[in-house]
Amino acid sequence: MPLVSAVAASHAPNILLEPGNEWEDFMDLHYSMAPKGSSNRPTLEQQKKLRRDAEAAFAVLREDLQRSQPDVLIVVANDQFVNFFWNNIPTFFVTIGDEVAGKFTRHRFQYRNHKELGKAIIRAGMEKGIDFSYGERIELQHTQNVPLYFLLREPSIPILPIYVNTWVDPAPSPRRCSQVGELIREVAENSKERIAMLATGGLSHFPGSPRIGEIDEKFDHQLLDVLRAGKGKTLVEHSVQELLQAGDTEFLNWMVVIGAVGDAKASYTNYMPDFVATGWGFVSWRSL
Amino acid sequence: MSCYELSRLLFDLKIKESVYEQALTDFEAVMTNYELTAEEKTALREGDPRKLRQLGVHGMLCLYIKRLQPEFRDNIYWQQK
Repeated sequence: MPLVSAVAASHAPNILLEPGNEWEDFMDLHYSMAPKGSSNRPTLEQQKKLRRDAEAAFAVLREDLQRSQPDVLIVVANDQFVNFFWNNIPTFFVTIGDEVAGKFTRHRFQYRNHKELGKAIIRAGMEKGIDFSYGERIELQHTQNVPLYFLLREPSIPILPIYVNTWVDPAPSPRRCSQVGELIREVAENSKERIAMLATGGLSHFPGSPRIGEIDEKFDHQLLDVLRAGKGKTLVEHSVQELLQAGDTEFLNWMVVIGAVGDAKASYTNYMPDFVATGWGFVSWRSL
Repeated sequence: MSCYELSRLLFDLKIKESVYEQALTDFEAVMTNYELTAEEKTALREGDPRKLRQLGVHGMLCLYIKRLQPEFRDNIYWQQK
């Protein structure tokens, strides 16, 4: 069965932090490392508006996902030194445990993991020359939990976390990420289940970099324009270095989903820079 | 030159609560569990993420030295990963 739906969304922690004290805490830490940007520090009203706007964007994505009645949601995200360290950095990792869980402040997340789908993807990859790393034990982190809070708060269906190395150098090319997405699409077409995909991360931000606090809004808008035009696969021409320059290496997660949706036009896009560190982006491909 | 051990200490401050708790009371003892150069120990004691970064540590790990600093100890950021 073809993929039934696909969405992409940022996973910035402050999307899920409460406006007010939690945001202020987050910004205190952030601006201790990026003091130049503190003049743009969002007011409480701006924080609340960002939260409302993000919730509205997530509501569109959630409705599109629900309407497609998926049996499983593949979650393509990156680690940030939670499950993986310098002793072993997988380029692509598929989770094959029974369950996955994690927490974000007071929020707890626990899902059945669709390990059969995971193994099908791994086996298909081995046939086609894409050798995934895989393992049973992972901890969900903000890169999954933030979007899942808004899109699948109740664990009504299993998920399948797939990791892409977007956070340490060397990272895979956009073309390779797209090829992984094409492979997943083939696996979905051979499955009797209704498979949906979520890519998380981005858009422009520079975590842990001397450029922390910068947001390349122009580059982000160009990416979203391409997705609305159904030309996402042309983005394979970008180099990792170009994405890095724009603070968009987490767009590699999105490239997996873009490879899977092919030439489908994004039916919904939304974009809001948070004035702190990240351009929040939201996309849905309703018609695949 | 690799800064694996320095990075590992910062990773453990993020992931292992036992290491974090010990570091709050006796950071010097924690440092003895890692093979660190004198320069790395000095940077850790100074607690400046930028200096750790200059020694080759990934920026996402440098941040975790701030978890030991009194003004950031209770920051909400550490309650998520």
